[in-house]
Amino acid sequence: MSPVVRPFPRQPRAAGPLVWACILGTTCLLLFLFQKILWLVVPFILALIIYYALLPAVLRLVLAGYSVTAGASLVCFGAFLLLGGALGLAAPWIAAHAVSWNEWGGRYLAGGVGFVLGSLSSLENSFEFLAQAHLTDSVRKGISDFSANFVSRNLAGAVMLAAAWLPSLLLAPFLAFFFLRDGRRFKKFIIHAVPNAFLERTLYLLDEVDRTARMYFTGLLKLTLLDTLTLALGLWALGISAPFLLGLVTAVLAWVPYVGSILGCAVVVLVAATDFPGNPGMAYGAIGLFILVRLLDDFFFMPMTVGRSLHLHPLLTVIMIFVGGAVAGISGLMLVLPLLGVVMVLGETVGQVVNDPRLQARHAHARRLRHAAVTGDLL
Amino acid sequence: MFRFATKESPRLKRLRSISLFQDLSVRELVIVDLLLHERRYLAGEVVFDAGEDGQGIYFTLDGRIGIFHPGHSNTPLAELGGGSFFGELALLDDSPRMAQARALDDSTLAVMFRGEFVGLLQTHALIASKISLQLARHLGQRLRSISLPQPQPQEVVA
Repeated sequence: MSPVVRPFPRQPRAAGPLVWACILGTTCLLLFLFQKILWLVVPFILALIIYYALLPAVLRLVLAGYSVTAGASLVCFGAFLLLGGALGLAAPWIAAHAVSWNEWGGRYLAGGVGFVLGSLSSLENSFEFLAQAHLTDSVRKGISDFSANFVSRNLAGAVMLAAAWLPSLLLAPFLAFFFLRDGRRFKKFIIHAVPNAFLERTLYLLDEVDRTARMYFTGLLKLTLLDTLTLALGLWALGISAPFLLGLVTAVLAWVPYVGSILGCAVVVLVAATDFPGNPGMAYGAIGLFILVRLLDDFFFMPMTVGRSLHLHPLLTVIMIFVGGAVAGISGLMLVLPLLGVVMVLGETVGQVVNDPRLQARHAHARRLRHAAVTGDLL
Repeated sequence: MFRFATKESPRLKRLRSISLFQDLSVRELVIVDLLLHERRYLAGEVVFDAGEDGQGIYFTLDGRIGIFHPGHSNTPLAELGGGSFFGELALLDDSPRMAQARALDDSTLAVMFRGEFVGLLQTHALIASKISLQLARHLGQRLRSISLPQPQPQEVVA
């Protein structure tokens, strides 16, 4: 019997509210689970960044006639050799300047403390209740106690933290190498398991996941560049020394939401207070500039770069950042957008496949054909 | 020692039998092979439907594939044998599939996804020029076959 061929509406439907509820719920659940295995998630993300950075070089070697294994090995070896060489060359210079850096650190720290105490002193002069509370003296004593016991109190914890994270961070280059070498093989392995009826949708899905991840990390680099330039421009306008370096350091620190931003702001204030010891207005200006850039970053730059790379609505991007923070803290803030991007693609595709009766019918037909083929001689 | 062997494996020979890849060197064929997904279809199984978003180009390695016009006839518009390819139109102009493709015999197909096909053309200039030339020839032949009267309603591509 010849099958009847009929026209059928084949355009996939956009994801509905139920699918979107599943996407957002799954994202939150995964965020909650991922914070429990952060030791694995962080090196995995670092490995992805390394993978996307090195992939073009591997493809170039493949084009030049090398196998994928040889290309991945050569590129990884070259990259790590370059990094190791750079660190090796920098080590004597770092050692030679360590003493002067220590002095600079002390100078900037003293400048920052001076700024804080000066500000408190001004407040005490303005408000009687603060003067009665001897706020400046209390803070001075607190800073003195803190700096005296800081090393002894935190050194052991810092060493333990470094010892716990070092092996998992060393996993990143290892993972990156295998992503480069076996990524395509893994993709073929996954696709091999997909029924013919769902093949094109699955191919589309995998390509979208790959594109989303690549665009996210590209967006993150663009965001860092925008932050660096905006901060550098503002710091330069204020007359603070090394504006570009400060902008770059604070933009990179901002990769860690909240904590990184506070640390970045503290660095900028220390430099401003030390560069202009008798002029606290400069430090206030630096704080104002930093807050302005953070606002621009959260409400404009991030939705324009990272959010746009994921094709997310800016409002959803902002809301999900807050939701990520509420569900999984700092790790949630960092992971929520890439995770949402991947879950969104997965959810939309699964929704399209499940809600497409024609695809389901084709799959059932193929199964009947296979059943008939393997049972034809058993009757 | 890291270089490819320049000898063609049976797999690569089979790929070279596809008209789109006939001008590619062994190295270029290996690159193309990395992007292909091999699939097996039973006789009567639908490869894709008319109206679907075209996400891939298909290469017939074994068997026969029929191209059916939706809603008009159960007689295939064309029968495509080993070495042929189909699904390229939807890939090129990003339009929905024009017709249904269905396996007439048990068939083995190789599929290349749109993103990988376009990526291949964008990143490998030499491969792109060779494939584009073959694609242009193929479309030219198809145009000629449409504009000139055909003695037979069906075309069998060996």
